[in-house]
Amino acid sequence: MSEGELDFDPDELVMLRQLFRAEAQEALETVTTRVLAGGSAKPSADTLTEMMRVTHTLKGAAGTVGLNTMVDLSHRLESAIASFSREPSPWTSTTADQLVEVTDGLRAYLDQAGEPASEAIADKLRDQIDQIARPNRRPQSLPPPFVEPPPEPVLEPAPDSGPPPEPKAWLRVEPERIDELMSSAGELLFDRTRIERRVQLLRTLARDLAGTRQRLHDVLDHEGPPSRAALGEADGELAGQAALLSQTTAALLDEIEALRRTIGDLQRGLTRIRMESARNLFLHAARTLRALRRATGVHVELRTLGEDTEFDKAVAEQLVDPITQLLRNAVAHGVEPPEERAARGKPETATVTIRARQDGNLLVLDLSDDGRGIDTGALRERLVATGRWSPTRAQLADDAEILDALLGTGVSIRGEADELAGRGVGIGLVRETVAKLGGEVKVSSTPGRGTTFSLRLPLSTALAQAMLFKVGGQVYAIPNVHVIDTTLVDPGATTASVRHETLPVLRLEALLGHGTSNERRPGVVVSFAGKSLVCSVDKIVGPREIIIKPLGPLLAPLTLYAGATISGSGKVQLILDPAQLVRRAHPDAPSASLSDAGSAPMVLAGRALVIDDSRAIREAMTSMLGREGWIVDVAEDGARALQMTRGLRYDLIVTDLEMPELGGFDLIARLRKDERFKTTAIVIITSRANPEHRRRARDLGVRALVAKPITRRKLLEALAAR
Amino acid sequence: MPELRNVIVFTVGAGRYAVELRWVREVVSLGFVTGVPTAPQALGGVCNLHGAILPVLDVPAVLGQPPGLPARQGDGALVLEAEGVVCALRVDQVDHVASLHESGGEILDAAGRPLTLLEPQSLVRRALELISEHA
Repeated sequence: MSEGELDFDPDELVMLRQLFRAEAQEALETVTTRVLAGGSAKPSADTLTEMMRVTHTLKGAAGTVGLNTMVDLSHRLESAIASFSREPSPWTSTTADQLVEVTDGLRAYLDQAGEPASEAIADKLRDQIDQIARPNRRPQSLPPPFVEPPPEPVLEPAPDSGPPPEPKAWLRVEPERIDELMSSAGELLFDRTRIERRVQLLRTLARDLAGTRQRLHDVLDHEGPPSRAALGEADGELAGQAALLSQTTAALLDEIEALRRTIGDLQRGLTRIRMESARNLFLHAARTLRALRRATGVHVELRTLGEDTEFDKAVAEQLVDPITQLLRNAVAHGVEPPEERAARGKPETATVTIRARQDGNLLVLDLSDDGRGIDTGALRERLVATGRWSPTRAQLADDAEILDALLGTGVSIRGEADELAGRGVGIGLVRETVAKLGGEVKVSSTPGRGTTFSLRLPLSTALAQAMLFKVGGQVYAIPNVHVIDTTLVDPGATTASVRHETLPVLRLEALLGHGTSNERRPGVVVSFAGKSLVCSVDKIVGPREIIIKPLGPLLAPLTLYAGATISGSGKVQLILDPAQLVRRAHPDAPSASLSDAGSAPMVLAGRALVIDDSRAIREAMTSMLGREGWIVDVAEDGARALQMTRGLRYDLIVTDLEMPELGGFDLIARLRKDERFKTTAIVIITSRANPEHRRRARDLGVRALVAKPITRRKLLEALAAR
Repeated sequence: MPELRNVIVFTVGAGRYAVELRWVREVVSLGFVTGVPTAPQALGGVCNLHGAILPVLDVPAVLGQPPGLPARQGDGALVLEAEGVVCALRVDQVDHVASLHESGGEILDAAGRPLTLLEPQSLVRRALELISEHA
């Protein structure tokens, strides 16, 4: 079977193969462990059987994902192990070593399986495996090293390739972290498929409900008293539909929970990649302070604590300016002249301390100086003198409130404009920057002892790019990935031409603001799931980096909003959900076209249960059956399958034969005893179809026995069989 | 109700209300209030409270009466937590913490004036219903 015959999308195949690799690593590990556990002695019959079962599963899974060389290799390995379960046993003192060597070789091979270059390694593996079962035909010379290391890739540039390029900001990431991300990304694909299947079932259910309602109407419209039998029948249908609805909702909730977890894993993984220690920030602070010392002649030293504290790279970058500002502030306002310090009994050289630490979910940066502290009395006077506060308010406020006011823009501690720290705007900006990162700033000060600015930030920050615009005096955001352009919209126009395409116009000023106007308006071109529209707005603010905040349960029913963000000045800005905008602009194109268009069949074939101990095969079967219109549930063994059939009826059962716990034949035998599954279509998928199996299958009324690897054609033939 | 201690009494418009102190997390002065178009009058807007999104409710509107004044920056508000929801009730004035008693089917404060005792859980549920109906 070549790859061309496989029944998966390219990215689906990539994911399935990745799953297969993980599974195969585990299976081979099992074989290795079992062999090593016995030392050089021959494993027990049970152990041999288990080893055969896992290699067998491996073979089936490899075929399904189109790795034919791997099928051949695992087949050979299975035969080799099988040969030891027969007497007289050829197990010798070297057999264990050879087996371990082969499984190690296979594991190394797996990473390259499917690539043409790997064939040479496969050839060697083949010989090696064949040697195990035939110890008498040893090669004359010692075998070459098992897997030749691939040649080192040439990374050094050629000597004459000119001057080295400018250093770039590289991110060093451990490979394991990337692997985790890849597997989470793969998981997302499966989560999506599962949810799509449920949605499809719900759609069918909606149609069924409409049908039942129509029948009820017919009964009621009928002259004379409605027939009890017909009503009873409709009631029965409704009961079934209600049960299916609640089951599906429950399953959907589970699947969404799984999706939520996967997204969480992905987010955490990405966050970890972006973490860096406080060291760089401290280095920057040291440089800044050195420059300030040179510029002002102020004697000040930097002390840093907690440089191993890790935080988000993006957050670290954003903190550079606030730290610079606070250092300037400390040097300009905090630190007294040396003679004043001496008079107070302080060391002549002042100290600025930056301390980074993690406090629960918060990153805390404290920046303290040992200077004169903030004169709250003077600050009080300035607040009144600048007209920002009424004298009464200033009198009533306690010191903490006065210090908090310092963080508002436009108040300076000193009266005169200051070259270094600006006009107090600086500290306001510190608060704005920190607020934008979702954090807050606190000031505390002891007169004569010093001032501490405490920056409290979330440990990780979900930053997103968004397009901001104004409607009805408020700022809104749309995630930038869904904004493809901006344009102008003529007054009264219901469509706009963008890049030779005519798009519907959604009047956001009517939806969110107060009526319309007669002017040309800017428009944001939004695209979601292949559909585009133009949203007319009052004014485009521009792209910004935002932090997405959840709206919480109370606002959840307002589906127009996907979340909110908080501006630098602390205002809440709502994020519009592109999916909802598209839905409003294309009201006649229902959700059907928003889901995976094209591949979703319109006819529901029924509910199927797939039982196989290989996850790769379960997912592959789910995908194939899903495309034929089946709603598919999966179980990893017969015992779990039995549990599932207790609550649900299935129209089709597809099962593997060899599984841990409860095998395929035992499962079928039990199912056939259940009235509901007496005549259900059952298909066996196996790579071991001998006449005995065929006879048992016939006796149990199995519709078809399909040999692994399974292809779409084989599956369709089996389903069509009567 | 024999006697209910520790309630906080407040006014919104012409109405006088009370809520048990144990539901109140904070008494705050609202920051900038962002309007939520497409929401019912019961939701006066959203605010930034310590970096989280805080919905501001209009008590009379939630109770099906004519709404109070629109929520604005600087207005007083009680931050409640009930039914897993943190929300603010905009108030015109917080009167006092008091004890209540019942007389002839009416709930009265210490001075014998009638008021409406709010039950935060049902208030939040009612607000959620209104918002869902409106959506």
